[in-house]
Amino acid sequence: MGLPGEGGWDVRRCGRGEGTELPAAGPEEMVSENPHLGNQPEPLQEDSDTRPLSMTTRRGPRSLPPIPSASRTGFAEFSMRERMREKLQAARSKAESTLLQEIPTPRPRRLQSPGEKELETEFGAEPGEEAQKTQQEDDSQSRSRVKFRDSVRKIKTKPPVPPGFPSAEEAYNFFTFNFDPEPEESEEKPKAKNRDGTTQEEEEGEEEEPPVQGIHKTDEQLLISATEAEAFLWGLDHAAADFVAVRPADYESAHVRLQMEKELLFVPSRLTVPTYKKLPENVQPRYLEDEGLYIGTRPDVPRTCQNIMENRLLTQEPGRRWFGDDGRIVALPNPIKPFPSRPPVLTQEQDFRAELETLYKKAVKYVHRSQHMIGSGDSPGNFQLDIDISGLIFTHHPCFSREHVLAAKLAQLYDQYLARHQRNKAKFLTDKLQALRNAVQTGLNPEKTHKSLDTTQKTINEYKSEIRQTRKLRDAEQEKDRMLLKTIIKVWKEMKSLREFQRFTNTPLKLVLRKEKVDQKADEEAYEAEIQAEISELLEEHMEEHEQKMEAYRAAYQQWKAWKKAQRAKKKKKKQAVEEHPEEEMGEPYPEEDPVKPVPPEPTDRALMEHQVRERAARSRRRPGEPLLVPELSLAGSVTPNEQCPRVEVLRREDVKRRSIYLKVIFNDKEVSRTDSRPLGADFRVHFGQIFNLQIFNWPESLTLQVYETVGHSGTTLLAEVFLPIPETTIVTGRAPIEEVEFSSNQHVTLDHEGVGSGMPFSFEADGSNQLILMTSGKVSNSVAWAIGENGIPLIPPLSQQNIGFRSALKRADAISSIGTSGLTDLKKLAKWAAESKLDPNDPNNAPLMQLISVATSGESYVPDFFRLEQLQQEFNFVSDEELNRSKRFRLLCLRSQEVPEFRNYKQIPAYDREIMEKVFQDYEKWLRDRNVIETKDHIDPHRAMVAKYLQQVRESVINRFLIAKHHFLLSDLIVEEEVPNISILGLSLFKLAEQKRPLRPRRKGRKKVTAQNLSDGDIKVLVNIIRAYDIPVRKPTASKFQQPSRSSRTFSEKHAASPTTHSPTHSADYPLGQVLVRPFVEVSFQRTICHTTTAEGPNPSWNEELELPFRAPNGDYSTSSLQSVKDDVFINIFDEVLYDVLEDDRERGSGIHTRIERHWLGCVKIPFSTIYFQAKIDGTFKIDIPPVLLGYSKERSMIIERGFDSVRSLSEGSYITLFITMEPQLVPGESVREKFDSQEDEKLLQATEKFQAECALKFPHRQCLTTVTDISGKTVFITRYLKPLNPPQELLEGCPNNPQATAELVARYVSLIPFLPDAVSFAGICDLWSTSDQFLDLLAGDEEEHAVLLCNYFLSLGKKAWLVMGSAIPEGPTAYVLTREQSHYLIWNPCSGHFYGQFDTFCPLKSVGCLIGPDNIWFNIQRHDSPLRINFDVTKPKLWKSFFSRSLLYPGLSSVQPEELIYQRTDKAAAAELQDRIEKILKEKIMDWRPRHLTRWNRYCTSALRHFLPLLERSRGEDVEDDHRGELLKQLGDYRFSGFPLHMPYSELKPLIEAVYSTGVHNIDVPNVEFALAVYIHPYPKNVLSVWIYVASLIRNR
Amino acid sequence: MAAAGPSVFLLMVNGQVESAQFPEYDDLYCKYCFVYGQDWAPTAGLEEGISQITSKSQDVRQALVWNFPIDVTFKSTNPYGWPQIVLSVYGPDVFGNDVVRGYGAVHLPFSPGRHKRTIPMFVPESTSKLQKFTSWFMGRRPEYTDPKVVAQGEGREGENAEAERLKAAQLMLPFSSQ
Repeated sequence: MGLPGEGGWDVRRCGRGEGTELPAAGPEEMVSENPHLGNQPEPLQEDSDTRPLSMTTRRGPRSLPPIPSASRTGFAEFSMRERMREKLQAARSKAESTLLQEIPTPRPRRLQSPGEKELETEFGAEPGEEAQKTQQEDDSQSRSRVKFRDSVRKIKTKPPVPPGFPSAEEAYNFFTFNFDPEPEESEEKPKAKNRDGTTQEEEEGEEEEPPVQGIHKTDEQLLISATEAEAFLWGLDHAAADFVAVRPADYESAHVRLQMEKELLFVPSRLTVPTYKKLPENVQPRYLEDEGLYIGTRPDVPRTCQNIMENRLLTQEPGRRWFGDDGRIVALPNPIKPFPSRPPVLTQEQDFRAELETLYKKAVKYVHRSQHMIGSGDSPGNFQLDIDISGLIFTHHPCFSREHVLAAKLAQLYDQYLARHQRNKAKFLTDKLQALRNAVQTGLNPEKTHKSLDTTQKTINEYKSEIRQTRKLRDAEQEKDRMLLKTIIKVWKEMKSLREFQRFTNTPLKLVLRKEKVDQKADEEAYEAEIQAEISELLEEHMEEHEQKMEAYRAAYQQWKAWKKAQRAKKKKKKQAVEEHPEEEMGEPYPEEDPVKPVPPEPTDRALMEHQVRERAARSRRRPGEPLLVPELSLAGSVTPNEQCPRVEVLRREDVKRRSIYLKVIFNDKEVSRTDSRPLGADFRVHFGQIFNLQIFNWPESLTLQVYETVGHSGTTLLAEVFLPIPETTIVTGRAPIEEVEFSSNQHVTLDHEGVGSGMPFSFEADGSNQLILMTSGKVSNSVAWAIGENGIPLIPPLSQQNIGFRSALKRADAISSIGTSGLTDLKKLAKWAAESKLDPNDPNNAPLMQLISVATSGESYVPDFFRLEQLQQEFNFVSDEELNRSKRFRLLCLRSQEVPEFRNYKQIPAYDREIMEKVFQDYEKWLRDRNVIETKDHIDPHRAMVAKYLQQVRESVINRFLIAKHHFLLSDLIVEEEVPNISILGLSLFKLAEQKRPLRPRRKGRKKVTAQNLSDGDIKVLVNIIRAYDIPVRKPTASKFQQPSRSSRTFSEKHAASPTTHSPTHSADYPLGQVLVRPFVEVSFQRTICHTTTAEGPNPSWNEELELPFRAPNGDYSTSSLQSVKDDVFINIFDEVLYDVLEDDRERGSGIHTRIERHWLGCVKIPFSTIYFQAKIDGTFKIDIPPVLLGYSKERSMIIERGFDSVRSLSEGSYITLFITMEPQLVPGESVREKFDSQEDEKLLQATEKFQAECALKFPHRQCLTTVTDISGKTVFITRYLKPLNPPQELLEGCPNNPQATAELVARYVSLIPFLPDAVSFAGICDLWSTSDQFLDLLAGDEEEHAVLLCNYFLSLGKKAWLVMGSAIPEGPTAYVLTREQSHYLIWNPCSGHFYGQFDTFCPLKSVGCLIGPDNIWFNIQRHDSPLRINFDVTKPKLWKSFFSRSLLYPGLSSVQPEELIYQRTDKAAAAELQDRIEKILKEKIMDWRPRHLTRWNRYCTSALRHFLPLLERSRGEDVEDDHRGELLKQLGDYRFSGFPLHMPYSELKPLIEAVYSTGVHNIDVPNVEFALAVYIHPYPKNVLSVWIYVASLIRNR
Repeated sequence: MAAAGPSVFLLMVNGQVESAQFPEYDDLYCKYCFVYGQDWAPTAGLEEGISQITSKSQDVRQALVWNFPIDVTFKSTNPYGWPQIVLSVYGPDVFGNDVVRGYGAVHLPFSPGRHKRTIPMFVPESTSKLQKFTSWFMGRRPEYTDPKVVAQGEGREGENAEAERLKAAQLMLPFSSQ
């Protein structure tokens, strides 16, 4: 706890400091969060600083700054002083009275000293603060404080010192304690409290026990808090004056507001930030890249974004850690790979596992066999070398005539000329010379030189020497050019003279010299200038040389002189000495070499030099003005025909004709093929144009062509061998250039005709001088390349086969050779390339390459013998892979993220492995194991087990396919946005604006739908509103027990006639009018939650009750897909509540009533949850599913009729219940997947369907229009393809051959016996898959469409007119029914129940008709109404039905997807019987399970009676047997009270049976002596369709 | 799942939504909720809250001060899915309809102690100018189906039309977690 004054100081200082800075740093502060301490009043203070003085009055006193004004402080000081004085006096008087009594110890001495000490320590402790304070605060203020202090001192000295005081520390603590809360209070108090605060203070001052010494001792604290106190005291004085200030209303102009916003909001500038701002001061930017350090490529960020970011960073985080040395934002290298890589698409999990499985292969040591053999590990060598031999030209041949020799020479020279001309070296050198001279010129120019003289001189010297060299080269080149030209001309002349001489021509060669005119003057000038330049250069050179020589001469001369002198001196001496010893000295000079007197070098003679230069120029250069000569060689000349030639020449030509040439291809010293033999042409060229594909196994060592010549029919001679180079691996067919390989032979051939022979001297001169010896020679033009295989791979033997020394290093550097193209095999090339392309050696990307190059060049042998993609991965592996795989937690996390169904919603995966139970995985592993094993335990019937498995697999694959789609969101999934309104909606909404907010007649508003994303258990409820029921069966009087009841006059068979039945008078006689017929109540069970209504009375009860059932999604997963797959049903059971008197003793009747309530099941309505989910609400009247036999009950029709109700309702048998079911909150049903399925339909047809659907949707958006459906393999199929007459089982047709209506009913019943399984459940609402009828019969499961299609097909085969009706019904929603046309009327069949209704039946569940589908057309309902009651089913009327195929689009005769014929197997009766027994056993066990607290007794006698009875029921299809049955049963079980009923279901699985039995609640009876009976009967129909009857009953023995 | 319940760690958060800066709007209230991963479960405190309506302060700062307390405790077995607080601010538009003024989310602090977070707020933008006008006119601005969306990444790539407007909203949340 610090001193209060200190606290005050701190805050103050802080506030002031900021206040002064604020205008500059305002916006920055608001955005960044650092300067705020979360102290709310603070900003107030800051603001007040910037405000005008007058405004401060309405602020709290705390916020008032001490304004630097001398007069004010004076005033403040004055008032303060006054105040203090008052305080002191008051305190003193009090203290005198109290303290004098207490402590008599005299401590006057200590009084002063602690105070002073305190003062010192106080200020000494915070010198910095003090300094800052003084700095920041104005002079006037500090002055005022000084004054104030003085004044306090004055006070201090004045008062008489009381004798007794507490110690200094005590007083100090006391005061600090007392003062402490005060500033805080004042801080927080609103301004209204100001006065209280100050008065409080005064009071406190008065209350102080030792006030005097307190003030004396803590005057320093007072001092410190003085400024603070001063602040609010001063403010207070003002506030007292104008506390209630009247001031104008606050107005903020928009401008000011904008200004403020500008302060508040920070908008970084887009301008580039100068580098110096980003770097610490006086620091030059440093570019690491220039220093040779590697810097990766930065990610690509637009310039403006960078600027904005930099600006933002500069203002918001001025710490400058964000900028690197080069002044740019610190950034990692761009992480984006240059090439996109995509993980392999995993189609199925199974495959994916198989793919990722690591196969262990034992390492195989590579065996080096011989170099020429391909290792067995490699693929058998099928390598190919393509040798293309295009032709052969002889440059000399024995049969050459002299002219030929010259022609060959000429051709050669001309070639040379052409080559030289192309290169034009002389021109290049001339240009270079010119450039050098220019350089020297500029270098000599002193103004232009910036470098030191030294370097200039040096470079100039270098230049000069280069000039010298270049000039020499140029001269040589020019001379050569000129010589060549001269030679060409000379040879041509010779040839001409030869031709003239021999008077025929052998060769078509012709040389034309073209003259190119040149501008003589310019030419001369250039020539002269060139010569002058040369001369001057030479002169200079010579001067230099001369200089040097002179230097040398001088030195030598000096030496010589010295020597001379010495000599002379010697001589003198010698003379003297000679005079003394003449003999001795004589020989002396001779051994010493006599230095020759140096000859002074001759100065260069300009004239001489010029002469030399000119001479040379004349020799090598074209003379000025002389035209340029360009030789052109052509074959335009004509060869003299044979007749005009001399005999020798003719002989020669004939000889040439007799000769032919062929080549042999020798590969590795073996002849592999040879060319055709081609005759030698007159021009000594042979064209082959053959390509040899050499299939090789071994690396080629040598490749040779042998040139053979055949003369006439005599033998062949080997002319020469041509060695071909083996191509490099980069050269492949198509890229190989044609090369010419020269060859020559050393044969000596002499011929007896004009041919010059070979190896023989001959001469062109007549005198035989100047002899020539020419050898047979020529050129083979060929190309050798590696062939390319079919897949684009060059067929080159592997590198390992090539010579070993070079490759061993490469082979080890596997990384490179695997990446590398064949060009990389040459390391030198590679290194060169690396150097040329300026690869950054520091770039980690290039590291392996660089390493390889360094290895190859330095000769070090270490190259890693492995290649890694992620070379650093191992460093980051914190556990080994095995350990990771062993981790259960990791595995669990993985499985969850893969959305494996079992783990998708696993919550709270434990943090430790040990907390995860092994059994978590057991199910999953078991499932993995068993997924392909068909298991018959759950499914009693093996066939159904198979079907279930198959369905499971189909479902899995479909779900897998759509799991991805589930993760794909659309914008509309995330954002609720109004559609673009059209005019009418806009108008409406405009109208709505004018509407009253609370209209008198409120309209119903739609409920808000909730997306099932963030729901949890208990959020969703199913609301069932049970309104009323009609025609509930009523109890039969027990009195009839002993009489055999007459057969009821009303029969069920009459129902089709729809005629009112007669009533039995006996029945009505049985019931006294007032007796309760039945007391029904409704029990709704859903997910084993049970609710029930109150009990109503009578056969037409009205409940009107709402039941609320909580809904719990499986696994707590409330995602759409999960909700869609909820298979639970809502069971609405109607019970009769029966009261039984249980009184044992009649005597007690007077005193008490003991009754037992029993409930008797009457019937049920079953509504699947999925229907509720998709329909959102279900509203309507449903037929109660009442068992065919309900013992003890009968329909109370007669009474209704009697009472005249029947005119109200249409007559229909059965009981009905009116229900309203919905969910709260309403859930958005899952949308179908937005995926277009592929189709095999005609594109035109598909377009037509789309068009048709669009048109229909436009007219009647709510009517169902179906043209294409998805088949089970996921393909779109046109719907009419499903309809085709199909034969029903023969057995059914034989049933009643004479009654077509009965047959139809039987067929419908058969179809309805196939279990119902909604697609929406099996395929998670994804799509509606239609299976064909045979698939449907195989699967034995399907939804309405499959049933309807099958039924429709049966009807078609029975010869009826039948259509598929697509419409909506209750409770199913959108569904499919079947419509048949009888003679005069239409019948609507519900394919799932087998019931049928007349068109005008009000209780027909079909409520609307969308479209009709026949085998060859689709008709869309375009009538005003869609209720079957009000529409006309005559599809021939185009005004009522819009047909798909019409005259504009004719029916193309689509083939059906259905099979030709259905084949039915008889169901195994034995298996059915077995199944029957098993079901019975299981159900009995279940019932015993459900009654855990009671003993369950089985009445065997009754069971067997029931068992006999069930087949009868099946035979009569649940009708028409009641009374017989009842009679029989009653006879047998005379003294039992019996309640029970048969249940009838199609058989699919065991679970629905159990559920159905459970829902009846038979087991709930807990009468002590109750007995049970249960019988099961299965009637097999063909194709494994089983009809299951279960008879459950409870019996109570009557006493 | 262990029978005794797995060992968990607790994250206790208390703090407040202090204030906001929405220079253009007044009379705002805010809602908060938390988004957390599958391994997290709230054990105590309120997971959601809706604040009072606050008006701008009359001073220069024009702060919208709520000082709306937050106190919640989570337990978890896995740091994955660390809770995020999602704030959404609503207020009346010109016609008096309540419209959303900003969404924002931030992770709860990872270290114990006092933390202050400033959350930039944004609203999804209309896809077209016309829609912008009509949505303004009819008072039905585009909004997220669920505010928790802002804390999730999945599906957000579809919001290409969303231009985020940054509001300097100061929400000071001193948290203490342990």
